[in-house]
Amino acid sequence: MKRRLGQSLAIAGGLLGLAVVVLLPFWFIATGAIKAPQEIIARVPTLLPQSFTLRHFDKLLGASDYPRYLGNSLVVGLGSTAITVVLSVLAAYGFYRLRFPGRDLLFRAVLVAYAFPGILILIPLYGMMSQAGLIDTPAALVIVNVTFASPFAIWMMRSFFASIPAELEEAALIDGASRLAILLRIMVPLAAPGIASVAIFAFIASWTEYLFASVLILSDANRTLPVGFAGIIGQYQIDWGLMLAGATLATVPVVLLFGIVGRWFIAGLTAGAVK
Amino acid sequence: MSAGPRRLSRARSEAIAGMLMVAPVLVWLAATILYPLGTSVAISLRDIRIIGSDGGFVGLGNYADVLEMARLWAALGRSLVWVTGNAVLQTLLALGTALLLNQRFRGVRLVRVWVILSWIVPTIVVVIIWRWLLGTSGGVVNYLLVSLGLTDRPVGFFAGQGSAMASLVVINSWRWFPFVAVMLLAGLQRIPADLYEAAAIDGAGPWQRFRRITWPLLQPTMLVLGVVGTLLSFNVFDIIWLTTAGGPSGATQTLPVLIYETAFKSYRLGQAAAMSVLVSLLLMALAVLLTRALAPKGQG
Amino acid sequence: MATRWSIVSGVAAAALVWGAAAAQAEPVRLVLWHMEQPPHRVARVQELIDAFNKSHPDIAVKQEPQSWGEIYAKAPAAIAAGNAPDLLFAIPDFTPILKDLGALQSVDGFVKRLDAEHHFVPSALAPYSYDGGVWAVPLYNMAMSLWYRKSVFAEAGLTPPKTWSEWKAAAEKLTADGRYGIGLPANKQLYTDQTVYDLMVNAGAADIYNPDGTLRFDNPQTVKAYDFYKDLYQFSAADAPGWTWGEAEACFASGGCGMILQFTVISTYDSQAEGDAQDLGVAPIPHADDRKESGTIAYSNAVMILAKDEAKRKAAETFIAWLLEPETYGRFLNMEPGLFLPVTADGAKAKSLWSDPLVVKYKPQIEAMIANSRNGALFGFTGGHTFPSIAAISAQNILAETLQKVVVDEMSAADAVKAGQARMQEAVK
Repeated sequence: MKRRLGQSLAIAGGLLGLAVVVLLPFWFIATGAIKAPQEIIARVPTLLPQSFTLRHFDKLLGASDYPRYLGNSLVVGLGSTAITVVLSVLAAYGFYRLRFPGRDLLFRAVLVAYAFPGILILIPLYGMMSQAGLIDTPAALVIVNVTFASPFAIWMMRSFFASIPAELEEAALIDGASRLAILLRIMVPLAAPGIASVAIFAFIASWTEYLFASVLILSDANRTLPVGFAGIIGQYQIDWGLMLAGATLATVPVVLLFGIVGRWFIAGLTAGAVK
Repeated sequence: MSAGPRRLSRARSEAIAGMLMVAPVLVWLAATILYPLGTSVAISLRDIRIIGSDGGFVGLGNYADVLEMARLWAALGRSLVWVTGNAVLQTLLALGTALLLNQRFRGVRLVRVWVILSWIVPTIVVVIIWRWLLGTSGGVVNYLLVSLGLTDRPVGFFAGQGSAMASLVVINSWRWFPFVAVMLLAGLQRIPADLYEAAAIDGAGPWQRFRRITWPLLQPTMLVLGVVGTLLSFNVFDIIWLTTAGGPSGATQTLPVLIYETAFKSYRLGQAAAMSVLVSLLLMALAVLLTRALAPKGQG
Repeated sequence: MATRWSIVSGVAAAALVWGAAAAQAEPVRLVLWHMEQPPHRVARVQELIDAFNKSHPDIAVKQEPQSWGEIYAKAPAAIAAGNAPDLLFAIPDFTPILKDLGALQSVDGFVKRLDAEHHFVPSALAPYSYDGGVWAVPLYNMAMSLWYRKSVFAEAGLTPPKTWSEWKAAAEKLTADGRYGIGLPANKQLYTDQTVYDLMVNAGAADIYNPDGTLRFDNPQTVKAYDFYKDLYQFSAADAPGWTWGEAEACFASGGCGMILQFTVISTYDSQAEGDAQDLGVAPIPHADDRKESGTIAYSNAVMILAKDEAKRKAAETFIAWLLEPETYGRFLNMEPGLFLPVTADGAKAKSLWSDPLVVKYKPQIEAMIANSRNGALFGFTGGHTFPSIAAISAQNILAETLQKVVVDEMSAADAVKAGQARMQEAVK
């Protein structure tokens, strides 16, 4: 279809609007992180930095525990992602392909997991973790993150499986393969982009989790990024430069991650289109 | 006919395999949600104040107290406003973005990646960004408003009751709309291109193509996103707490914020648990009603 | 014979040595929770801990910084689950919560010994002495003052206001050129509780309890204080309902606010503003026209000993006593120069306090802050009485909440204060 000028302008306008809305705020944060303190709090904000300093990053990386928080978040994120992927791939296949009593009801029930406010679960969970000796361990956070990511991950995964033609499985079944073997040898490789999507979703959910991380972790050594960073910002004074530097750095790992695997996320979601 | 007693019938083996595959995640969810839920219900039946202390059994006393509080109903009203505002704004932004990203132009793949930036950063970063941008001294938005002559004094975005709620809805939508857009994009890409071509040949304009093809075929995706989105949106706590803490003067005190304050600032754990249980019942009813509307009837 | 004795004595000697070595090998471990999270404060605390651990090889102290936002929930939860720290910093209204949970034992004997040696400022000790015991050891003080720039005042032809009428006039005069005359917060948060109480103290409404423990928040002086706050508030920033300490300081540092009420602005002023020590002005908070003296809010910060084990308690006492020694105490206070004020008489004279470069630079200001702190008070802990039910009132920021009714909901001060009293009754039930 030939594109008319009007359509091109609309697209360009939309893109510009999108860039301003999504990217511009981050521009301010990133440039703010390298401005001198006076320029950051100046009454007239500047679009292009007039000063340059790396002291905020220096202080952040050298004098605070920020790098450790970053590392903890990575560990917790990877652990949560791995387990979520395994559990949700299994469950999604079960819900999608296999018939068993109560299947539809259970599938709907899984999504209802999101009906419960975090506070409802927080305090009893704290008690449970305490009895199991898991307070102040990354494992406690992994358990919580898997819980929050799984329902949606199952739903996402189910749609990916749906886009795979049934004939492949039929053929394998006739050959005598077990369901598990079919899942592992046929479905998983075909749904790889979908699995990547689920993995990224789970990682991001874990990366941004705040409420449970703030209560279940007691010591500085095990703290994750959102909570540790909130603490660095300070209570009685606000070190704006430090805050903006921290905000910038909190963005970098996920931007890098997304830069590398982001297209898989999108590709995975849109895989169903290519029939 | 059948291959012998050694081999289970296909239906049975399928059922067993299915249940085994689904079991791990269900056990996990039961342990981490159902069990704590039960404990919370137990807490809600006792007059427990500070976490860790014990309290006498009061039966449904906490529920009665809580339902009489004007605060609770006010918070419910705000939660409904919050959910509705988010739903409307996010749907508009996400749909527009998804339609844009569905077009074919150079660099669209790259755009589909960076658009999601606001979703992947921790909430605290979102809060920092917007508190700084919307601040009155040094804040970019106010600076533009004043220097363009749109207002004569800087606007306190988080200072007025209506504006605080509106600002938070905008911030939360800013955070979530790219994710919703990408999900919608997936749905859009599943619509076969030949449908559009056929309609174009029949002389249908862009608006008609949207109304007759896009909108109806997007319904299943939109409904699921709507259900999950509503539930998640209702329970949003951290972004409100970190930005206004429910203020000013309670203007943004939604139910999750009220529950948190009741538990950790008023030290009335029993009452907070009762509130949580009530909210869960409300949301479950909502979710069941909505999911029934889109029940997966054997389709993929 | 000699052989048997030598064997026995050899074994005995070996046992002694082994026992001593074992005791040496296993130092008493203490975990300290405090809420001073900014990295430079954490670093200073670590320096002190390292020095202590080195000079006391039989004790090993470890710090875990926490946030004020979480600690009210986290500490009781940790105690209930058996994960409590051995030492926990506190402010006066946090201590009753832990005492009610049975987590504290009286330290009056220990405090008496420290008092004899270092002489505590009485107003620092008072908030922790009630119910027949002393429940925490005072460590550092914080008090609010009025901050301004001398050059800005000179330009406007002003002198530091002493009374409320002068104060209002100054705020009015200073509101010019896009600058706010005074940066007053209106957030439902601790900073606003503090600034509101600053005005209450200076209106004669410092006591919110009667001697018998009933509430007297609703009285004419309180209403007067809220009325005046509203009056001054018109000269404050539009987004003040979202302010905590940081926003107010940033406003002052950038010159956007002519005056603010704050514990200290020295670090921010020095690192983010001009850092001109000659120009930084600090004054007592102005008092109502019909009163003679200025007062302020003062927070005596202390440390609680939660450990139950005898050896740990002894070790904890050793650590605290060491911190209060004049040679160390100054370095402890200077983890944030100017913010933390001494609670002991010999601490106020300690060389370690006055030798920090920032303290040297702003010596006149810090001397003034110490002088202002002598007239400090804290709501719920006034008049020689201590009412632990205050914990519930401050946890819910009812003073601030009442202010919001006046400046955001535009209720009359009288109605708002009445509603505030009702809220307090509910909270202490």
